[in-house]
Amino acid sequence: MTAAPAISDSAPSTRRPLLLLIAGAGLFVTALDAYVVVTILPSMVADIGLTIDRFEQATPIVTGFLGGYVVAMPLLGAYSDVRGRAPVYAVCMLVFAAGSAITATAGLWSFPGPALAWLVAGRFLQGLGGGGLVPLSLALAADLYRDERRSLALGSVAAMQEAGSVFGPLYGATLAAAAATIGGWRFIFWLNLPLAALCAGGLLVGSRRQSRLDPSAATSLDWVGAALLGSGLALLVLALYPDDPNTRATSGLLIPVGALSLVVLGLYARRQATRLEPLIPQRLLHSRAFIGATVANLLIGVALMVALVDVPLLGRLVFKLDQLGSGLLLSRFLIGVPIGALIGGLLARRIGARATAVAGMILAAAAFTQMAGWQANELDVRFGPLPVATIALSACGLGLGVVIAPLAARVLELTRAEHHGLASSLVVLARTVGMLIGLAALTAYGLFRFRQILGTPHLTGDVRAQVDQLERLVGAAFLQEYREIFAVAAALCLVAALVAGLTVGRAQAVARPAD
Amino acid sequence: MALRGGGAAMAKLKTVHANLKFTKGTVTFRGFALVAARAAVRLPGDSDAIYTVRQQDVQIALEVIIAGGHVYLHLPFSGYNELTGADAADIPDLAKLFDARTGLPAVIPAGRNPKNLGAEKVGEVDSNKVEATYDASLIHSMLAQLNSSGDVDAVFWIGGSDHLIRKAVLSGLFGDNGTPSSVEVDLSGFNGSVTIPTPPAS
Repeated sequence: MTAAPAISDSAPSTRRPLLLLIAGAGLFVTALDAYVVVTILPSMVADIGLTIDRFEQATPIVTGFLGGYVVAMPLLGAYSDVRGRAPVYAVCMLVFAAGSAITATAGLWSFPGPALAWLVAGRFLQGLGGGGLVPLSLALAADLYRDERRSLALGSVAAMQEAGSVFGPLYGATLAAAAATIGGWRFIFWLNLPLAALCAGGLLVGSRRQSRLDPSAATSLDWVGAALLGSGLALLVLALYPDDPNTRATSGLLIPVGALSLVVLGLYARRQATRLEPLIPQRLLHSRAFIGATVANLLIGVALMVALVDVPLLGRLVFKLDQLGSGLLLSRFLIGVPIGALIGGLLARRIGARATAVAGMILAAAAFTQMAGWQANELDVRFGPLPVATIALSACGLGLGVVIAPLAARVLELTRAEHHGLASSLVVLARTVGMLIGLAALTAYGLFRFRQILGTPHLTGDVRAQVDQLERLVGAAFLQEYREIFAVAAALCLVAALVAGLTVGRAQAVARPAD
Repeated sequence: MALRGGGAAMAKLKTVHANLKFTKGTVTFRGFALVAARAAVRLPGDSDAIYTVRQQDVQIALEVIIAGGHVYLHLPFSGYNELTGADAADIPDLAKLFDARTGLPAVIPAGRNPKNLGAEKVGEVDSNKVEATYDASLIHSMLAQLNSSGDVDAVFWIGGSDHLIRKAVLSGLFGDNGTPSSVEVDLSGFNGSVTIPTPPAS
């Protein structure tokens, strides 16, 4: 099999930063959309006609994107090795743009089928395109820089992905508010079309000398592996879907569908273990530190998802903030993440990856524990000049941010330089899988608890009075539900700290050349 | 002619299903913005209607059952509550829309400047498309909650053979503060099976 020429073969050194910037920008744009919906979810749900008592049906709007992301991520890195980075990058951008257009138009016209199905299909396509860009951009960075600048290039691309996903919710709230008269939340998705075209066009033009394709490329793609991973996770999400939150926390088909998902994921694992060129290098699978870092990342993904999704929803449903207000509430968490990542990188050099990661997780656990005791008037409670909620959210973001760098660095340490792209995407993959499963599981648990807490209230008075009473009771039930979810997130952070403490191992020189 | 036929055919209805969708402007009732409504009606006076209303960004489905003169309200997550007195009178009674003396059957033929706009299919039914203009007072007499500050333009799709109205689009100044608004009404299930549940006493 002949690999397509790498872009670095043809790109002059002056053009490399530009190509890296374009690749990173595309990744940033797609990563923004991963969680862009969490602050605009109530508007989206209302616009497609879902009423509050069917809110659980909105979960696939978030998980749909993550599902596509997870399926594409391990698949397209290898594909671009033989098809060429730029063409595959452009196809990913095209798929992302198509998904954005479908999302933007869901419920606007009389398409066949329910609007929600279109919305979820659009989000899945967005995730598919966006997920493919993760390994692609990392591989592109590795192609462009083959010297000591490679780590910096990889780090820059990974940082764009992290920054995009973390700032997505605030970006969504701000843009939807600014574009209230020209489509509101739909504008966010329309805007993706020119952005995607710019990134894809820029990269194609910048690397136009690379055009030779390998006809045997199609055989090198592990479609079966990707299909097993995707369908296994989809079945798991389906098993956890709360189809009747009044009576049970999960799907009525939890046992058969859950068992089937485990079988399918088991087949995927077996395939990876036996295949000659598996997506995940065998050596990594036998590394205790790699498994520990992956499990810790997975758990951190769940905790991160709790903050990203539940904080803005809490803002809307309990604190009665508007779209932008809930985005700003979340920004108190978001601001801590990059600062934490910076501190994490610096601390890891001084005290090692393990100690840094454990410290970050314990800080996040402490913050979640405080949030588990929040009251309906929490935003008015102050500690000195600062609202307590601001301190807790910032500490939570800081703690989770601190964890990112040492865990990623530890995984990179375990791999050869030429596998850094794959290793970096595995780190993101583990966290995204954690987010996907976490969201599905916590939605199931949360809705079940919500219905338990709310019960069947007896309302009196006229229509207005009854709705007002219901609104108060629903707000109180949501608050209790979210407090419990924050407590679960705190526990998960502690488990992640334990896992990292026992397995990750002390790494003195995070930036040491691999192997 | 077509309007008279439509009114006469509608006057003979026993049951009907209606779907309302507000496509322009905002119509607010008791502080809620009406988004849509769907109703099963058994004449003369029973109906099961689900109003979708919007409060800020949240949509709420309010179910109103009117059966045997009793009015029941069902909010999400809660049981049925019987409304009485002024609270009950406040609720729009969609069965009145089809009342032979005061509803659509009586009002439709009173349209001014009727104009035939040709034939169109609604679903699988060949229908005549007819437009006409109505006084605000006529519309108000049909449904007290519909207040227009000017004439209301209506377009009807009237079945070619049975003369039943399949679809209607009303446009006029019946939005909040007399702003332009538009509502689309789809009618189906004529004289078909309709089940109006009898809510348990709460």
